[in-house]
Amino acid sequence: MRKFFILLKKEVQELLTPQMLVPLLAVVVVFIFVGKIIGSETSKAKVPQAIEVLDLDNSATSQAVIEIIKKTNFAPNVSQSGSAEQIVTSAKSKNEKVALIIPKGFEAGVNNLQPQKVEVYTIMKNFSVMASVNSQILKAALAAINDGLSNRLLAKANPKINPIAIKQPVLENDFVIIGEKQANVSPAAVAGFITSQTTLIPIILFLVIVLASQLIATSIASEKENKTLETLLSSPVSRKAVVASKLMAAGLVALLTAGVYLFGMRYYMAGITGGAIGGGGATDAATQEAIAKLGLTLTTPNYLLLGLSLFLGILAALAIAIILGSFAEDAKAAQGVVAPLMVLVLIPYIFTMFLDVSSLSQGMKIFIWLIPFSHPFMATPNLLLGQVADVWYGILYLAFFFVVFVFIAAKIFASDKIFTLRLSFKKKKPI
Amino acid sequence: MPKAVEVKNLSKSYGNIKAVDDISFDVDENEIFALIGPNGAGKSTTLRILATVLSLSEGSASIYGLDVQKEADKVRHIISYLPEEAGAYKTLSGISYLKFMAALFSDERHKQKEYVDMAIGICGLGERLKDKVKTYSKGMTRKLLLARTVMTRPRLAILDEPTSGLDVINALEIRNIVRDLSSQGMAVLLSSHNMLEIEFLSHRVAIIDKGKIHDIGTAEQLKEEYSAKNLEEVFMSLTQKM
Repeated sequence: MRKFFILLKKEVQELLTPQMLVPLLAVVVVFIFVGKIIGSETSKAKVPQAIEVLDLDNSATSQAVIEIIKKTNFAPNVSQSGSAEQIVTSAKSKNEKVALIIPKGFEAGVNNLQPQKVEVYTIMKNFSVMASVNSQILKAALAAINDGLSNRLLAKANPKINPIAIKQPVLENDFVIIGEKQANVSPAAVAGFITSQTTLIPIILFLVIVLASQLIATSIASEKENKTLETLLSSPVSRKAVVASKLMAAGLVALLTAGVYLFGMRYYMAGITGGAIGGGGATDAATQEAIAKLGLTLTTPNYLLLGLSLFLGILAALAIAIILGSFAEDAKAAQGVVAPLMVLVLIPYIFTMFLDVSSLSQGMKIFIWLIPFSHPFMATPNLLLGQVADVWYGILYLAFFFVVFVFIAAKIFASDKIFTLRLSFKKKKPI
Repeated sequence: MPKAVEVKNLSKSYGNIKAVDDISFDVDENEIFALIGPNGAGKSTTLRILATVLSLSEGSASIYGLDVQKEADKVRHIISYLPEEAGAYKTLSGISYLKFMAALFSDERHKQKEYVDMAIGICGLGERLKDKVKTYSKGMTRKLLLARTVMTRPRLAILDEPTSGLDVINALEIRNIVRDLSSQGMAVLLSSHNMLEIEFLSHRVAIIDKGKIHDIGTAEQLKEEYSAKNLEEVFMSLTQKM
């Protein structure tokens, strides 16, 4: 055990070089920097945005429209005279992004049931989301205006009827059923909440597996290239300790790297979503209550199972990578030999992100289940849906997979194979 | 008393290729024994088998009576192996590398310190030991590795081309170190394709080519037997006869 820790320390020292740490920290700094910039832009968008409003009607109805606009986080600069050109020029000079013109005869037209057109000018200086956000908000404000005015008109035409019953004779009342539990909530709200809570897990798992695999394959290939492996394997140290220390070091360094990336990404995402990762914090109380009623929360044993599944997924990837690394003759070749592993990780990553695995054909389901990395990717939704047995099967399969591949790796290290395995596609030419 | 090395009818095959073909030799305690021959003769394969890095296909090999195949773990405690053109961990400093290797050979702190102190004395790198190995010249790396190989005072040192690629001064220094250690009781098994160098360094030599040992003896005996001026001429007359 003592020698294992000596080897582990050396492996970690070998992996945590300035060449590896500096770019890693640089990426995190960039993430934080970009997150802060986006965050400050988002904050700017939250303060009432000044817009130019030309109210040519100057009526009670047009005043009501302006009041609704004020309530939707705009600070209108209202003028009662002028032309479209003047109002746009004024908006441009004040660096405002939207100008609105309420035409003359607006109130009379509305009252005579003639649809009225308000002109909305959006001054676009680029094509980012931020550039069009104000006109989108204004559109929502106009929808609210339409709703309010149509209610008023309907009430005026027939005071006995409820305007809502006319406009929406059919109302939707959503129920979501999960297992035996049921809640009065829309499926979109549930899906949105779950996605916001589980988005980061597959990303981290993918990052860790890719990084760790490359690290371990490169570590073995470098030892072969520098012939340090021969020295090590002729020393009084067990081959199992050599394999285990490489597995552990690559796993630890990959976790650290993923942790650092995650830290940077949190800042970045917080900048975009205004503080809540994936918008999870924006969920309303009714949805939260429905989520709890449906049992869509992870308990402590659930988290332990999830952790075990993720951990075994990483170990399984490392066990494959250590074997693939044995085929590489130098560090450069190591990047190439782990490509099949990347594909094995990418397939379940994409499938579980975009498809419902349970609705796939039987053949495809078996294919996905046979890939060991599908199981940690599917663990979170399975736990949320109460399919704990599926998670256990996945854990057992991963453990079996890991043991088999570590056994093969140990066999390779204990034999000549570690020095003789090569990937060669060239045919020997006859002399 | 068992021999330091005892090799009997040893063969090693890679598929249809026989890298080592039915060779036998032995090495006494305190002896410097050299395998000499051109590149690809089977020298390194033989040394790697004795260093427990490769398995043998046929025959047997033992170090101080311990079978290299069946008792590899015990063998690793009494040997030390310097592979041809080996490197050290580039991100470690010279001193850290020595400490790391010393810790693999002994659990006791004072023993580890003893090993490292000995290596510091042998390699002669002084303050440069604090620098990263990647900043070393080829000669400095080789001296560091040779010091690492012998610092544990192994009962048998296996040195594959110990002076390969070194300049005259570095090669001379390494030869002197090997001779000193042998005089202190260490058996040395080395390989070289530089036959003139071996003539001055080793007590006995085995001439190997195409996986087979053609003759074994002291340099003087072989020269006399083949009426040659040096070992190169011995080698030429032996291999041309085949």
